[in-house]
Amino acid sequence: MSEVAVRDTMLSYISGSIESESQTVAIRAINERGRDVLHNTSFPTRKHEEWRFTDLSLISKNTFTSVEEADVKDFGDISSYYLPEALESRLVFVNGQFNAELSSLEGIPGNVTVGNLSEYGDHNAVKEYLGTITNYDDDVFAPFNDATFMDGTFIYVPEETVVEAPIHVLNIFTDAEKAFYATPRLLFVGEMFSKSTIIEEHIGLSNNLYLNVPVTEFKLFTGAHVHHARIQRDSKQAAHISRPIAILDKNAEYHSYTICLGAKLFRNDPRVIQNAEEVDFTVDGLVLIDGEQIADTHSIMDHRFAHGNSHQLHKVVVNDKAHSIFNGKIFVAKDAQKIDSFQENRNLLISDDGKVNTKPQLEIFADDVRCSHGATIGQLQDEEVFYLQSRGLTEQKSRELLVYAFALESVESMEVESVEKMLLDEVIKYTNRDDK
Amino acid sequence: MLEIKNLHAVVEGEDIEILKGVNLKVNAGEIHAIMGPNGSGKSTLAKVVSGHPEYEATEGQILFNGEDIIELDADERAHMGLFLAFQYPVEVPGITNKTLLREAYNTIARANEREELDPIEFEDYIESKLEVIDMKDEFLERSINTGFSGGEKKKNEIFQMAVLNPVLSFLDETDSGLDIDALKIVSDGVNKISNSENAIVLITHYQRLLNYIKPDHVHVMMDGKIIKSGGIELAEELEANGYDQMQKELVLNGEAQ
Repeated sequence: MSEVAVRDTMLSYISGSIESESQTVAIRAINERGRDVLHNTSFPTRKHEEWRFTDLSLISKNTFTSVEEADVKDFGDISSYYLPEALESRLVFVNGQFNAELSSLEGIPGNVTVGNLSEYGDHNAVKEYLGTITNYDDDVFAPFNDATFMDGTFIYVPEETVVEAPIHVLNIFTDAEKAFYATPRLLFVGEMFSKSTIIEEHIGLSNNLYLNVPVTEFKLFTGAHVHHARIQRDSKQAAHISRPIAILDKNAEYHSYTICLGAKLFRNDPRVIQNAEEVDFTVDGLVLIDGEQIADTHSIMDHRFAHGNSHQLHKVVVNDKAHSIFNGKIFVAKDAQKIDSFQENRNLLISDDGKVNTKPQLEIFADDVRCSHGATIGQLQDEEVFYLQSRGLTEQKSRELLVYAFALESVESMEVESVEKMLLDEVIKYTNRDDK
Repeated sequence: MLEIKNLHAVVEGEDIEILKGVNLKVNAGEIHAIMGPNGSGKSTLAKVVSGHPEYEATEGQILFNGEDIIELDADERAHMGLFLAFQYPVEVPGITNKTLLREAYNTIARANEREELDPIEFEDYIESKLEVIDMKDEFLERSINTGFSGGEKKKNEIFQMAVLNPVLSFLDETDSGLDIDALKIVSDGVNKISNSENAIVLITHYQRLLNYIKPDHVHVMMDGKIIKSGGIELAEELEANGYDQMQKELVLNGEAQ
């Protein structure tokens, strides 16, 4: 029996049934669990502390159907989105559904498993870890993914194995007659001392409304290293609510970089859990928004054991009437001594009507730690603009160059050359838009 | 080349007048030095001439090659050949010296309908200018003034001047904060750039710069006005007697209020 009226749950914005049809036992079990939570959890409002500043009306004023009922339109060639470094290590999902034809996995070493979840339902790692890493309390979006995902990405890297080529997980979203929802799922398991690079991309091909709710779970065993780039270029009308989480064993290193360019509403709740001593992780972000875009990051860096380094640089540029929200929590448990954690949120406001809410939050129960945090909200300095202008650059060009410089640092962390280049082009496109 | 007539200026949005009727004439091939105590308005003069948006000219004219440039933006003035070497050069992390200078050089070239340089041509051109300030290639790849020492920043200003090849340059306290070696390199650079076609206005607090760069004209600025002009002997007189003494004498002679 449900305790919450359906009209107060997320289900009231979903048309049609979300009964599980998955043939995969492991997926089906999570579907059922998610459905239970959904029925019993209210959709968040502004009264909810975690959603105080975030306008969710793009979801609550619309209804989303399954992809099957959305009258999805055909799409053209997407090869321009392929990464030259990952031509044989690419998984493509179209509106959340695996597309074997567009995927290419010839370059994956034989002992490494990369594929779609429904095919690997019997894999021990899937049975053991799928759905066990997410821990979003009082949340409707991770449960919505739980309830509705039918497939997803599965990556398993065995002990001492290095995957040289970046693994490109390309989520494509197409135009459709109706607003639809998609729930991409990703499970990554890296065994001891393995090493890999994952490029997770979300691309909207058109300018339509859809709801993209991805959940990614990363399990890193002792000494595993992962570089995880997440590039969000969804349709500028879309809503994207992300739940990426990683859990780290001893000496594991997890470095994540989230780039937000698209979506009208973006909410990202990255969490990294230090589950043993001596880990190292990064939760960087770059947000470039304009128009009426909302980009909200609520991150948790959760140090539960001693000797950990963590680093978060979250850079934001806000133009027009866009709105950025940042809430970065650093948790350090009572016995988690010798933690070195750094968090910085830098915001650059380049319009009069843009809005920034920022709240760094430290909750530290250990007494021998070094945790620093800071948040700045600034505009371009007149003196900087004048300096460049006095050298002959127009005021517009001077401002563009300064914004470009601000964003550059985050882009340079990408490690994959073609991704850096693509992002630099995106930064230029963002800063140059008034020249068109 | 430059003729400033009765120039008055205030900080934008404020009433306090900082320039109170400056008159100055600079011809091609000349080096001028403007000296004065802190707060006399000499840096403000450089900024107003180069078009700093923080200041507003309320009266008078700035004629550059006969055209009044008061209404022009800083970049338009730069296109005409004006240059300001900053007292406090601005750090711009993420943009290399080379990137800025190529953009600047080509923007100025475009505005003057001269041919732009492609990256390879520009590379050759800019490297040929490095010797002006005795700098190595790496200097070009560094972010603008980021992590530079005080001396490097000032050298960079002179390097930019050498690359952009302006007609008229204001050097705003380029000597301040320089040790003797850096002062020699910077002065040497300025002397190399100076020729019969261009003009340079040095703004300085100290006479020591003028040991290395010989001005044709020296002006003393106090309280928003040029109160006395002369040759190099004026700088020597200041060095010997100080600004207060000069002020007193002028009052006695009825040349100043």
